[in-house]
Amino acid sequence: MTLDAPNLLKMLASTRFAEGLTHQDLQSLGRAARLLEVPAGHVLFREGQREDAVFVVFSGHVRLSMKVPGRGDITILTAGPGDLVGWSGLISDGIMTATATTTDFCRLLALSSTQLKQSCDADPQLGYVLMKRLAQVISRRLVATRIQLLDVFAERRNHS
Amino acid sequence: MAATCEPNQNPWLSHSVRIAGITREIPGVLTLDLEFEDSARAATWAFRPGQFTMLYVPGVGESAISISGDAADTGRIRQTIRDAGNVTHSLTGLPIGATIGLRGPFGSSWPVDECRGRDVILVAGGIGLAPLRPVIYHMLHHRQQYQELTLIVGARDPALLLYPGEFEHWRTQGLNIIPTVDHADESWRGGVGVVTTVLERLWLRSPAETMLMTCGPEVMMWYTMQTALGRGIPAGSLFLSMERNMNCAIALCGHCQFGPYFLCREGPVFRFEQLRSILRIDDL
Amino acid sequence: MTESAAVPGIVAPAMNSGDSSDFIGNRRPESFLLRDDLQLLMRRLQEDGYTIVGPKVDQDAIVYGELTGVSDLPQGWTDQQQPGKYRLVPRDDQRMFGYVPGPHSWKQFLFPPSAIVATAQRVGSSWQMSTQDEPAPRYAFLGVRSCELSAIAIQDKVFLGGAFVDPHYEQRRDAVLLIAVNCTQAAPVCFCTSMKTGPRCQSGFDLALTEIDTGFLVEIGSERGRLLVEALPLRPAVSEEIRAGERGRADAERQVTKQMNTEGLHDLLLEQLKSPHWETVAERCLSCTNCTMVCPTCFCSSVTEVSDLSGDRVQRERQWDSCFNVDFSRVNGIPSRDSISSRYRQWLTHKLATWQDQFGTSGCVGCGRCITWCPPGIDLTEEVRTLRQLAESPQLTAAIGETASSSLPPNTAPQNTTEGRG
Repeated sequence: MTLDAPNLLKMLASTRFAEGLTHQDLQSLGRAARLLEVPAGHVLFREGQREDAVFVVFSGHVRLSMKVPGRGDITILTAGPGDLVGWSGLISDGIMTATATTTDFCRLLALSSTQLKQSCDADPQLGYVLMKRLAQVISRRLVATRIQLLDVFAERRNHS
Repeated sequence: MAATCEPNQNPWLSHSVRIAGITREIPGVLTLDLEFEDSARAATWAFRPGQFTMLYVPGVGESAISISGDAADTGRIRQTIRDAGNVTHSLTGLPIGATIGLRGPFGSSWPVDECRGRDVILVAGGIGLAPLRPVIYHMLHHRQQYQELTLIVGARDPALLLYPGEFEHWRTQGLNIIPTVDHADESWRGGVGVVTTVLERLWLRSPAETMLMTCGPEVMMWYTMQTALGRGIPAGSLFLSMERNMNCAIALCGHCQFGPYFLCREGPVFRFEQLRSILRIDDL
Repeated sequence: MTESAAVPGIVAPAMNSGDSSDFIGNRRPESFLLRDDLQLLMRRLQEDGYTIVGPKVDQDAIVYGELTGVSDLPQGWTDQQQPGKYRLVPRDDQRMFGYVPGPHSWKQFLFPPSAIVATAQRVGSSWQMSTQDEPAPRYAFLGVRSCELSAIAIQDKVFLGGAFVDPHYEQRRDAVLLIAVNCTQAAPVCFCTSMKTGPRCQSGFDLALTEIDTGFLVEIGSERGRLLVEALPLRPAVSEEIRAGERGRADAERQVTKQMNTEGLHDLLLEQLKSPHWETVAERCLSCTNCTMVCPTCFCSSVTEVSDLSGDRVQRERQWDSCFNVDFSRVNGIPSRDSISSRYRQWLTHKLATWQDQFGTSGCVGCGRCITWCPPGIDLTEEVRTLRQLAESPQLTAAIGETASSSLPPNTAPQNTTEGRG
């Protein structure tokens, strides 16, 4: 799917991931981005496989799942508008830790990790901003996972 | 937000109510439809969303149960009960036609009037949807008085979502419902993740004009508050409903104290600002 | 602490009143009741249908119970009190009220330790629910001290001042006649002057007596009190009697040496909710609930079901409870104050801080019962002193946080803590 550069930038700027980035930063990101429109059930990437793109969800939802022998495909998280999926590519070798499947019609911005990393290496200021943003995303995800781990809805018997 | 139990009456007096209907909700949770045996008491019955009653099984005891029905439905009182202790176990085992006692309603209520003209987000976890259901009924009855209405509802797994049968009707009446669960298999069409993750990405028309009410486990409510503040919703627009054991419900027995408050009197619904400094103090 | 005769707080007008036998300050004139005529007062109360409750010796202590006559009073007895210690000892005179209040307080009569609040009776397939509306006893309390009048005023706010009035307390309270007795001695645990609740009775009584060797100075506090003494052989007090009464009351005031600085206490305590000092107190606290049982203002209770054998008749019985019981407060069925430190913190901060938010008054009257009747002799005034020191010195807080179980550095250790620990 093609979209002219200004519109793509506008789209990117309106996501929560890009909130507060400078115009210059946005342009660097935009150069690595392309728009993706996919129907429900589309697999963006699979657990264990290499994937260069990191995705910013613009609309729709993406199911992140992991295969557990004997238990099938377990959904770990549903990502939605503004969320970043597939960020392993940005910080490691690009081997995906989960499978990402769209659950409805999705518009996503796919950014090339390779290109982004090159831009970051060339412009450490951009690198810092981007990595800080990424750290926030991961930190939020970690807190959410912790709350999930607490199993707060577990039932207990009481005295009354 | 003062108490609305009948004045000038012995506050220890339970009124007889008959179980007129039982709805099995999810495992261990059911909703009772209660009707007063005394028509005079039935005529004066009224409650505000968020309030609770003391339901009484003679010989077993009393338990504080939130009212989960429609305040406009004056003929019956609906209360959703989780089988969690002696009294609730007994309450959830009674047949239609059985008589139990009821005192109340007691406690503070959700700010449905203050919400007029605003966007409203309800964040419910598990059985925490029960005390928020009267808010949903109220707002959908007066839909034109409110702007965007969103319900984020979390549960352990899809089978444990409360009142799923009403979701479709509520949606058609103008409530945006986002269910999310901790665990699900491939058949689940909704989201997986905690309510805060959903709140994090929820589109807000105007955070300053948004009100949020939450009920669920304290940890969930705390992080919901933090996320809401992070999204720019003012602290004064955040409300939560607290849980402690209640024994008398009339601020005389001391059990439900939390800091300076009696949960049965100043609560169970609080403005976040009232609790902000004490909510995360261990063992308070 | 250096002993000081200059005690802040209440200065009884009588102390500056000179010789006037007509008016003492702006108080009503005192009359005099001869020692032997106290019996007449008690008889009059009985004739008026009152059940007289007052001090008597029982189980090696001065407690409150029903009195049939003057001979039931603890004549010639007094007590010695210290943190964790109480001893009944003979006096060398025949005073009837020459003691400092013991383990009992009047709350057990206005707010009985056990009371039926409601009943349920099976009728066919249904239940008939009702409340227990028996007529309440009509008590005359004899020997109420100033701090105890304040305690009653505080419980009035708890049980009568809110949206819901407790009918049991209300009935008893409406009927009660209060005959106060001014303290003429104090114990080392007393700190009423700090709490501004004594030692002299200021208001809230029908009659107030001051005992001297030959009898009682009588002050009338209400119309009911005036009617009561109308038929008694009272005569105007003479100046020696008035002076003897003043001396006795001044003795009590001078003997109150314990102090608690209440300045800014509400905020101070609530800012110390995370202090490591609560752990230090918890090492001594047994969570035995004694302090809450003897406290004249503590009001916590629980209602439990009592069924007859057939299960067809059920009584709902309210009993005193305590925030020191682990099961007292629960979240989703799990005890929410699982540690002794959290329960002691709840008790102390409620008594001295959040009580003010709830009822517009401190919950403490400075009677010292919780100090005397605490088995290890924990003294709340010392704990407050330590918390105040810690609040003023964050370094100190850090120090005890590191060595959570050790005591404070010697130069800042709370004074008097060795007293009564044995």
